[in-house]
Amino acid sequence: MSTTDVLTVEGLRISFGAVQAVRGIDFTVGEGEILALVGESGSGKSVTARAVLGLLPGKASVSGSARLGDQELVGADEEGLRQVRGRQVAMVFQEPATALNPVHTVGWQIAAVLRAHQPLSKAQALKEAVRLLDLVGIPDPGTRVGYYPHQLSGGQKQRVVIALALANSPRLIIADEPTTALDVTVQAEILDLLRDLRDRLGTAILLITHNMGVVADLADRVAVMHQGTLVEQAPVEDLFARPTRAYTRELLAAVPRLGHRAPAAVPAAELALELNQVVVRYKDFVAVDGVDLRVGQGEVVGLVGESGSGKSTLGKVAAGLLRPSSGTATVLGGDPATARRHIGFVFQDPGGSLNPRMSIEDCVGEPLRVHKVARGADYRARVAALLESVRLPAAYAGRRPRELSGGQRQRVGIARALALGPSLLIADEPTSALDVSVQATVLELLTGLQRELGFACLFISHDLAVVDSLAHRVSVLHRGRVVEEGPHHEVLRTPAADYTRRLVAAVPVPDPVEQRVRREGQVAPVG
Amino acid sequence: MTRYLLRRAPSALVVLWLASVLIFLVIRAIPGDAAAALAGPDASPEAIAAIRHDLGLDLPVLTQYLRWLGGLFSGDLGRSYLVGGDIADLVAEGFSNTLTLTLAALVVAVLVALLLGPIWAATTNRWVDRALTGFHTAAVALPPFVTGVVLIIVFGVFFRLLPTGGVPPKGMFDRLDITAQYLVLPAVCLALPVAGVLTGFLAETLRSELRQDYVTTVRAAGVKRREVVVRHAMRGALPVAITTLGLQTGALLGGAVLVESIFSWPGLGLLIEQGITRRDYPVVQVLLMLSVTVFVLVQLLTDVVHAYLDPRVRLGAQA
Repeated sequence: MSTTDVLTVEGLRISFGAVQAVRGIDFTVGEGEILALVGESGSGKSVTARAVLGLLPGKASVSGSARLGDQELVGADEEGLRQVRGRQVAMVFQEPATALNPVHTVGWQIAAVLRAHQPLSKAQALKEAVRLLDLVGIPDPGTRVGYYPHQLSGGQKQRVVIALALANSPRLIIADEPTTALDVTVQAEILDLLRDLRDRLGTAILLITHNMGVVADLADRVAVMHQGTLVEQAPVEDLFARPTRAYTRELLAAVPRLGHRAPAAVPAAELALELNQVVVRYKDFVAVDGVDLRVGQGEVVGLVGESGSGKSTLGKVAAGLLRPSSGTATVLGGDPATARRHIGFVFQDPGGSLNPRMSIEDCVGEPLRVHKVARGADYRARVAALLESVRLPAAYAGRRPRELSGGQRQRVGIARALALGPSLLIADEPTSALDVSVQATVLELLTGLQRELGFACLFISHDLAVVDSLAHRVSVLHRGRVVEEGPHHEVLRTPAADYTRRLVAAVPVPDPVEQRVRREGQVAPVG
Repeated sequence: MTRYLLRRAPSALVVLWLASVLIFLVIRAIPGDAAAALAGPDASPEAIAAIRHDLGLDLPVLTQYLRWLGGLFSGDLGRSYLVGGDIADLVAEGFSNTLTLTLAALVVAVLVALLLGPIWAATTNRWVDRALTGFHTAAVALPPFVTGVVLIIVFGVFFRLLPTGGVPPKGMFDRLDITAQYLVLPAVCLALPVAGVLTGFLAETLRSELRQDYVTTVRAAGVKRREVVVRHAMRGALPVAITTLGLQTGALLGGAVLVESIFSWPGLGLLIEQGITRRDYPVVQVLLMLSVTVFVLVQLLTDVVHAYLDPRVRLGAQA
C-alpha cells in the first residue's frame, strides 16, 4: 500500500545509563500506512516513539537513525525538532485525562498549537479549532470549543487530543496506546475515528499498543518488539495467521478470546455471597441502583461493566468495606463486616496495594498476624506454603515489593488474599495492570487455586474475554443496574440485553480477518 | 463568585471575633500596669487609682471588652493614653504610610518572582541555577535588620544615591519621583524575604507543572519551550503562588514593623513599637486588630482569586 516511506528507522539504539532499552531496530512507515508496534511493557515501544520526536529525558542516549523523508531526527537540534513536532509528526497519548491542560479551554489549547506553526490570529485559530473539533466528531463544536477538559467525557477528551495532533496536518501520527485508558465502546469509536482519518486525510499512523484486538482492528502491518529488539514484522493477516517466531506465537496464544472456553457447569451449592436490592448513594449520585447478586460456594461469578458502572462499589459492599444505603449484603449468612476473616480481596494495582517497606513475607503473612492465627516457625511455614501455592520461590520471602515484577507482585497479592483460607475471594480487576502473557499465567494460577481450594469468587473486570475464561456465571452492570445475568457462555455469546450486545460487539477480536468481517457487517455474535 | 464570598464570609467573621477576644486578653495578661506606667515612678497610689478610673481600667473585664468592641463598630477607637489624641486619627496617618510601603514591597516581590521563578524552573544552565539558588537562600535567610543596614550603607552612605530614611518632606503625592527615591530602599528591604519565598514556590510549582503529561502533549505539538513555561504551565502554577502570596502578607505586616523603624518610616509599625514599649494598650489593641483584619481580608481575596483561576473550582466538576 505504501509508495514512499514517511518514517525510516535504522539501527535505532536507546539506552538509559547502562540499561539498553532499544538494541538496534529497523522499520519504516509508508504514506497512509498504519504500522502497529506491539510488545509488552518494557519492550521499548514507547521509548522508540518518543525518541523519534526527541522527547526523551536528557539522560537517555540515542544513536542510529530515524529519518523523516530526508531529514535526520536523531541528534537534531531543539529548534529543528520543534519544527518537526506537530507539523510533520504529531503524537496522541494514552491518558486523555492528563494529556490536556486542566486550566485552559480546549479551544485555547488547540489554538496555541496551531499558532506554534502557522501565522494565524487568535480569532482565526479559534475558528480553525472549531473545524478540527468537528473533524474529530465532537458534537456542537462551536460551544465545546469553550469547554474545559473536565467538562468533557473521556472519549471526547481523547478526540480533542487527536484534534491537537491533527492541527498542523502532520504526515505521521504516533499514537501511543491511544485507547488503553478507555472503555471498550469508546475504544471502538476512537479506532473508527483513527481509521477514518487515515482514509480521508491519508495520514500515516504509527500505532503503539499491547492490545492484539486493537492491532487486528486497525493495523496494516505489525512489528513485534521484545526486550528492545524487533522479533518479527509482517502484514497484519500474515502475522496473525502464520506467526513465524516463537515469541509472537506465545504472545498471540496468551490473548484471551471470547467464546473459546467450553460452557462450565454451575456448581449448585449454598450461597457464599448474597446481595439483595443493594443501593449505594454518594450525596445525589446513585452509584449502585438496586442490585441483586448471588455467588454460590465454589462458584466464580464475573461482574463486568464499563468505568462508572458501579462494579468496584459493589466489590466494596461485598467485602464489608462499604455499607449500602439500602438493601442487604450477606456473606456466609452473616454481615460482611463480621465475616471479614473469611473474605479475601485482590486489588487491581499490585504495586500500590503492597506496603513498600514490608518484606514479601510480612506482606503475605499480615492477615495471619492481624488475626493472631500463627506465630514463629508456624507463621514462617505457612507463609512459605502460601508463596509456593502461587508459585513464587521461597527465597522471595525476604525481598521487598519493588524487587518483584508486576506479575510476581500480583501473585503476592493473591497469596495474601488466600492467607486465611477465605470462603469468598473478591478480585477487583486483578489482571488489568498486567501484560497479556503475565495476565494469562495469573489467570491460570487463579483458576487452578479456585478449583483446588474451592472458594467462591466475585471476579470484577471490564475485560469480557478475561471474565469468559474463568467465570461460571456473569452479571453485566450498566449505570448501577444489572442489565443481564446468566451462565458465561450465554451472556457473552448470545447476549439478550441490548447493552450487552453493544459491549460484546465493541470488543475487537484478535483476528484481523474476522474483525474486518464484523466491522463491515457490524455482526455482533461471536463463536 | 458572590455566592462563593457569602459562603466564606461567616468563617471570616468568626475568626475576627476570636481574634478580638484573644488580643484583648493577651494585652491584659502582659505584666505591668498601664496606669502605673502612665503616672510615673513617684506617683501616689491615689493618683494611680484616679488614672485607672479615668481610663476605665477599674471596670469589670467583660464591660471593658464590650465597650471596646462597641467602639470598634461605631468607629470610636478610643484615645491614646500617651499622646492623648484620637486613635482613629493616629492610625489613619500611619496606615496610609504603611499601605504605601507594603504595596510597593508587594509589587517588587511579585515582579521579582514573576521574572526569576520561570527562569529558575526552566533553566538547564548550571550557573544560572546556582545563582538563583544563592539568591533564594540569601533572600529568605537574611533578616530585614541586616539587609536594611547593608542597603543604607551601600546606597545611602557609600554611593550617596538615595535617602536613608524618613518620608518625602512635602507628602507622598507631591512629587512622585521624590517619593520613589524615599520608597525604594525600605520597599526592597521589606520585599526581599517575600520575593525569595515567592520565587521559590513559583519555581517549584512550575517544575511540577512541567512534569505533567499535558506539557509533553504541547511539546510534541511543537509549541516553543518558552511558550510552554510562560503560557501553558504558568496558569496552573499561579493558584499556588497566589495562596503563598496571601500567606506572605503576614510576613509583610510583621516585616513592616522592623523596616519602618530601620528607615524611620512613620507608619503603623513605628506606632505599634512605641505603643508596646510605652504600654499604650488602646493603641496596640487597635493596631493588632487592624493587622488581623487586613490578613483575614487578604486570605478571603486569595481564596476568591484561587477559585476564579481554577475552572474546576469555578465551574464545578461535571463529566
